[in-house]
Amino acid sequence: MTLAAASLERRPPRTNARSLLVALGRLVSAFLLTLAGAILAMQMLLHLAPGDPVDLVPGGEQVRSVLEAEWGLDTPLVARWGRYLARAATGDLGTSLTWRPGAPVAGLVLPATARSLGLALPAVGLALVLGTLLAWATAGRPSRRRRMVQVLSIAPVFLLAFVTVNVLNEAAWILLERGLIARPSWFALPDTESGVKTVLAIVVLAVGSGSLAEVHAAVEDEIVRIRNAPFVDAARARGAPLAPHVLRSLVPPLVTLTANRTAFFVGGLVVIEKILLLNGAGAMLWQACIARDAPLAMGLALVAAAVVCAARLLGDIVRLSVDPRLREPRP
Amino acid sequence: MTMSSSRCPCRPYPGAGSLAAALLAFALPASAVPFRYAEDLAPGIVHPLYTTTMAEARISELVFDGLYTDDPQLASTPGLALSAGLSPDGREMTVRLREDVTWHDGAPFTARDVVFTIQAMKDASTLSTESGRVAWIDQAVLVDAHTVRLVFRQPERRPEDKLHFKILPAHLFPETPIRRTGTFRHRPVGTGPYKVISFNEDNSITMRAVSGEGDPAGLAEVAMREVSDKNYQAKLLLYESLEALVRVLPRDLAVLQNHRKVELYPYQTNSWWYLGFNLDRTPYDEPSVRQAIAALIDIDALLAPIGTGDVVSGPYVPSSPYCNHQVPRFEHQPSQADALLSEAGFVKEARTWTRNGQPLRLKVVSHRTLESSQEVVINLQSQLREAGIGVEPEFLDDASWKARIWRERDYDLVLSQWTFDRSEDVYDQFHSSGTRNFTGYANPEVDTLLEKARTTTDPQVKKTALREVHRLVHDDVPMVFLWTLDSYAAFSSRVHNVVIHPFYFFTWVQNWRME
Repeated sequence: MTLAAASLERRPPRTNARSLLVALGRLVSAFLLTLAGAILAMQMLLHLAPGDPVDLVPGGEQVRSVLEAEWGLDTPLVARWGRYLARAATGDLGTSLTWRPGAPVAGLVLPATARSLGLALPAVGLALVLGTLLAWATAGRPSRRRRMVQVLSIAPVFLLAFVTVNVLNEAAWILLERGLIARPSWFALPDTESGVKTVLAIVVLAVGSGSLAEVHAAVEDEIVRIRNAPFVDAARARGAPLAPHVLRSLVPPLVTLTANRTAFFVGGLVVIEKILLLNGAGAMLWQACIARDAPLAMGLALVAAAVVCAARLLGDIVRLSVDPRLREPRP
Repeated sequence: MTMSSSRCPCRPYPGAGSLAAALLAFALPASAVPFRYAEDLAPGIVHPLYTTTMAEARISELVFDGLYTDDPQLASTPGLALSAGLSPDGREMTVRLREDVTWHDGAPFTARDVVFTIQAMKDASTLSTESGRVAWIDQAVLVDAHTVRLVFRQPERRPEDKLHFKILPAHLFPETPIRRTGTFRHRPVGTGPYKVISFNEDNSITMRAVSGEGDPAGLAEVAMREVSDKNYQAKLLLYESLEALVRVLPRDLAVLQNHRKVELYPYQTNSWWYLGFNLDRTPYDEPSVRQAIAALIDIDALLAPIGTGDVVSGPYVPSSPYCNHQVPRFEHQPSQADALLSEAGFVKEARTWTRNGQPLRLKVVSHRTLESSQEVVINLQSQLREAGIGVEPEFLDDASWKARIWRERDYDLVLSQWTFDRSEDVYDQFHSSGTRNFTGYANPEVDTLLEKARTTTDPQVKKTALREVHRLVHDDVPMVFLWTLDSYAAFSSRVHNVVIHPFYFFTWVQNWRME
């Protein structure tokens, strides 16, 4: 049960403005707490990691006390956390310390996040569409196709990307060398910016590390369950087409699945962006952690947490809108 | 100049038989291609006062100029300077500057820029990594718009050799100190042959030749590409997606050297690898233990899998004038090592050296980005384990490295390398007060010699002093001196007239040509 659904299900039988406000308040509180928790987690991780940003400033040791005071590293972790939250509430995410010294974090994070969402959202959509189509084809049938999907999808994202890049490059190079094709605009991966590289990232993210297999398995289970449900039997007895019933019933589990997988896709971005040299929020988070650039890493954690929370919230809203049972009061 | 790549002929695919070919045939318009070279990590800032990596030094070489630069024989030759006169006592130098130079923003270059740069570097609040380069200058005095007088702390014999640091445009800074977070970091303005056009979304940096600078047949545009995965770098050169690799990995040499579209350029670097002891830790504070460990290491066997090079015997590479060729290299002598360890009170029990019941174990630390360090450490582990000494390897990222090695000094043995510019100054590494002396090495005789080498104006005295430093440091074994690797740059065969500066790489880029 997700948070929004739980909040709304606990409302009294007669909806009124007060209870709606309470439910919304709970949602917003949970959202803000998640963001604060994500920032604290990132701050603690960087704190526990050996070294700090001063270590990465040339000659920093000689002016450690000056830099620590300037960057607010001379106060306890909790105080730093509180100060960061207070500043973030006003929209000030600080400035990068070591990775892009002096650059405003918001100016770095927002374009990178937009680029990453351009990969993650289509990847989520592709995983759902592919998973659903494959599940439709395999549900209730011998499991050979299912195993094929699982074998393809079980390859980790980094391996799938590495192999695909090398196969595409080698194939193109052989054809080029023989004069069979003109030089493709995307060639050679992963250096050249092109739509092919973006599509490759989306496909690998959607398929690799078990994403497709998990979506496929979950949807297939749902399809089997729905096909055996009494209301489908009734429709079948009436001679009505089954597909609309099954598809409509699939929406809530698909939405839940999407919301749950969002965090996974956000995590996968770090890997795929590093391998394909895509300069999104995932690659930036990696660099920020290596550079112990706490403001930048926390800004990215904040945005990532917001994206995951927003996906869950959106999922709840969609489920409530399509599933009337969730809108009814509990006995 | 318009440059075009010599791609293979764009003959359309004749038949419809190959789906793959059709899918792959997104034609690239025949357009100008810049000279593209790869770096593992793009510079965070382009600012000659805060250069910390070789990638940053290379970009600075393209964008900025110094008063003097190197000619192809590595002798100092005027850059922004026109002429200079040294006072008879060697304590002052009057430098006449070129009047035909403008900054990339159009402002004229003047003596004020030189005075400002020196003052900014000397200002402790600037926190410049390059401050040591001007520590020997006491004062920079503006004489007129194109003349500056430099007053030195000590008499100097060849001050022009130290006047290679890059000059900043004073008109873009309100005052000293300079801040590394100022806007100049991403809007650098220099007088060099290339100006920065853009810092791109993919972390690449595009530079364009300054009109009127150099030969118009030179490279019109230079692009620094960040290719963080070293596995791809050589491939991208072969695929003609890059024009140059600054340094070829040893494992890629075999593929590249036989490829018809690639030229390899060997170049000498003043860099050497070492295994440095933590001299404040027992038992590595005992010279005999250090000598024993050095004698247990088969340096040739460590070098062979990672490339070719010369084994070094001390802190100067064999080609250096300061190398003492009388000093023998560390040899693999297990029997001598056994004798030394026995003398130091160790006994070999169950094939392990122990003292007072404690086994001899080394925590060997290396930087994660040091090429081939994993192969070296694993082979070292195998060699020492065979000899009865345990090895605990660890690979650290930059921040962990600084904290563990420099601040906490939590290691027994560190595998790393030092790279030096033309001055080959090892003062900071081996003087007891040196800022880079992380091993804790202290020898009063070495201190005196290093101080003498810094202050003398007589090159022969300097040479004699540093050759003695070479011998003393070798004998004290604060580190096991390993090797200087042969370095190769790889260029597409479309690039001609390439001469590489061993340290700054792009010093003579204006002579390079591309088909």
